[in-house]
Amino acid sequence: MMRYIRLHRIFIAQYLKRLMEYKVDFMLGAIGLLIAQGMQLIFLGIIFSAIPALKGWQFEEVLFIYGFSLVPKTIDHLFTDNLWMVGYRIIRKGEFDKYLTRPINTLYHVIAENFCVDAFGELLTCILLLAYSIPKLSIPFHWYTIPLFLIVSIFATLIYTSLKIMTSAISFWTKASGHITHMLYMTNDFGKYPVTIYNKAVQALITYVIPFAFTAYFPATYFLTGKNPLFCLGGTVIAGTVLFLLAIFVWNRGLRAYESAGS
Amino acid sequence: MSRVKRFFRTYTPFTRAGMQEMVAYRANFLCFLIGEIMASFIMYFVWKAVFDSSGSETFMGFTMEDMVVYLFITFLAGYLTYSDGAFTVGEEIIDGSIAMRMIRPCSFEMCFLFQELGNRIISVSMIFVPIVAGVEIYRYVQAGEVRFQPIYFLLFLLSLVFAYMISFYFNVCYGFMAFFFKNLWGTTLIKETVVNFLSGAIVPLAFLPAGLANVLNFLPFASLSYTPVMIYMGMYSYSEIAWRMGLQIFWLLVMYGLSKLIWRSAVRHLSVQGG
Amino acid sequence: MEAMIYAENLRKEFKKIIKEPGLKGAAKALFKPNKEIVTAVDDISFEVPAGEILGFIGPNGAGKSTVIKMLTGILTPTSGFCRINGKIPQEDRKNYVREIGVVFGQRTQLWWDLALRETYSVLKEIYQVPEEQFKKRMTFLNEVLELDSFITSPVRTLSLGQRMRADIAAALLHSPKVLFLDEPTIGLDVVVKENIRSAIRKINEEEGTTVILTTHDLADIELLCERIVMIDKGRKVFDGGLSELRHNFGDVRTLRFELVNGPDFKLLDYRRRFKLTDDDVSAERDGSSVTVRFDTAKVSVEEMISYTLSTVHVKDLNIKDVEIEEIIKKLYRREVSL
Repeated sequence: MMRYIRLHRIFIAQYLKRLMEYKVDFMLGAIGLLIAQGMQLIFLGIIFSAIPALKGWQFEEVLFIYGFSLVPKTIDHLFTDNLWMVGYRIIRKGEFDKYLTRPINTLYHVIAENFCVDAFGELLTCILLLAYSIPKLSIPFHWYTIPLFLIVSIFATLIYTSLKIMTSAISFWTKASGHITHMLYMTNDFGKYPVTIYNKAVQALITYVIPFAFTAYFPATYFLTGKNPLFCLGGTVIAGTVLFLLAIFVWNRGLRAYESAGS
Repeated sequence: MSRVKRFFRTYTPFTRAGMQEMVAYRANFLCFLIGEIMASFIMYFVWKAVFDSSGSETFMGFTMEDMVVYLFITFLAGYLTYSDGAFTVGEEIIDGSIAMRMIRPCSFEMCFLFQELGNRIISVSMIFVPIVAGVEIYRYVQAGEVRFQPIYFLLFLLSLVFAYMISFYFNVCYGFMAFFFKNLWGTTLIKETVVNFLSGAIVPLAFLPAGLANVLNFLPFASLSYTPVMIYMGMYSYSEIAWRMGLQIFWLLVMYGLSKLIWRSAVRHLSVQGG
Repeated sequence: MEAMIYAENLRKEFKKIIKEPGLKGAAKALFKPNKEIVTAVDDISFEVPAGEILGFIGPNGAGKSTVIKMLTGILTPTSGFCRINGKIPQEDRKNYVREIGVVFGQRTQLWWDLALRETYSVLKEIYQVPEEQFKKRMTFLNEVLELDSFITSPVRTLSLGQRMRADIAAALLHSPKVLFLDEPTIGLDVVVKENIRSAIRKINEEEGTTVILTTHDLADIELLCERIVMIDKGRKVFDGGLSELRHNFGDVRTLRFELVNGPDFKLLDYRRRFKLTDDDVSAERDGSSVTVRFDTAKVSVEEMISYTLSTVHVKDLNIKDVEIEEIIKKLYRREVSL
């Protein structure tokens, strides 16, 4: 374990050196994400300029849930962005060979190799949103609120990362699966809004099948109201754990099916 | 006449290649599309909640029915007029393979255009009918009568063609940015988000403060999807349609001229780089 | 003691979707993809004792790379197994790869955008090479592969030859017991090739590293390997020493006569004189000389010389040793049955 932490520091240090070479590009990436989030917020602003509440949710509450949804998304984006490349390029071009000839866990190696600083655009939006909305909301605050927040963020991130691992691992069989990852990943936007605005089928889908509701809405409502901790937080922990175990299983099966490229 | 014939004989193979490429990657394309259309569904639910919460039948002049048509036809228009040209041009500039294009005896952007047309033919046949049919069925169920208007639909198609051409030349111009940036991901993201907003794909331009909306209506971005969608919805009178299309043609000529201008200076830039 | 590398009945099958050309074919594939099972490697067994350099040869698509990928643990065999350094690669991958080094000539394992030196410092951590040993190792590799002049350059700016040297150094950083080289000299010029060969030889001699290398350059084989395994269409067609190969598969000799009046093929008609076909004898003009290649199973060297001497004026005579390349070319063309 200590070894992997040490390795990660080295990978990040190498990444930062590379970053210095392409400063402008990475800045643009971060700015791009910031603008993308900003546009969504203008949209919310326009809506709330005409109505007082969205299905009973106040502007600040919606912003809080939205901001909360960016926490796991940002962490996942920051650390595991290279998984996209597995589905788009690494396996199809046979570049995965390299990872298999190294004495460290392949999944770890792929993930650690890249570190996506673009995510700072999202991180900034996330911090602004939470900083703006929290003081305006009467959030019940206890000594355990912050530790709970940190723990639940980790498991919420695991939901994102595990889904990415699973869909990327499909390419071990099909050579390319970036589009499948994309398809699944796009559903995460359902989690940005209070799930009560959706119909029953969509609610069931994002709660029990692709549990993006547990990455934001459920934990966020717990912090807002203090109600239902077992379902709201426990659900996130269980969903994160189960998906992660499943993801590891799928990945390891995929390794055996890996066919490399060329002859 | 024979020049026209020769022109098509030169470029139709590109169209065929584009079609084959699309067929080969159809599964990827469909998954990608489902992912993208998800955003329209999310917006649908958000707007539904907005209408439910506002307690009024209309929101800034749009009914819920209008909103649904707007969302999905905007998605369709946005998809059909989206041009990959920028990225391909950019990538070829970065890896230097653009030189291969320049030694071929055919117009550089025509090759792209015809290849992309091939792509579009296949994707249109896969998504155009389902989306339009879906929207019309929805309108029929909601209103209890057929709302489909063939004349507006034909004008919409024409306007869509202009929109595509504007988008194509705009993106060719953008592709030359690759001369300045090594990595196009960030700039593409910024471009797409800004264009999306300015073209009314995120919020209908009518919902924006009047002053801003007026300015945006005149910019080329409104020509990309807002104009055709408004025509489809029957929001414009015939005289308004006439001058909106006039505006589209104006922007098309501007973008075309601009791409030629940039291309000429880019060729010079390329030869300087090559030494 | 068991051999360093032991492979038994290795077999690898791939599923292949056959695409028919054109739009119609693609449309057809949409509904009913045409699948076929391709056997890339078909029951291959061999062993390599510690400290040997084994040449692995065969035409394109014969299955060389697939075998290497199974040996290195990248691919899982459909059946059969291999054991290297007492370990089965697929069973305990992480521990196994600690003791092997792999170079794929067509691909690099270096970090593209970073200075070369950074790759080594990352690999040092990945393979947990202690600082002291790392320094010693880098000095040694620098000396053998001459990395000094470009070690601070970003990898993407290296020439192909430099990149290959850097890649070999990367594979050797952790002092592996076995080194796998998949086409290590591909696309390099003669000087760099020689450079790399001597480095491989040096590492093999000084550290007793077992080496398996695949190549299309037969000079690599002649200069480096005591033994070769040849495969074709996934099957092993030859396994043995170079001298054995020479002995078994037609002793092709080359004689070069320098003539006073230049070659005159009206006088010198080897085919008619010995009643041979083009495959068994060939004569080529080379300035004022003639080079004759022939199969000693059909004509003896003595007969050949005496015929030439009696027919034309010979100034000088040169006998070349058997060229391995000739034999292998013949084998590739399947002129020698096995």
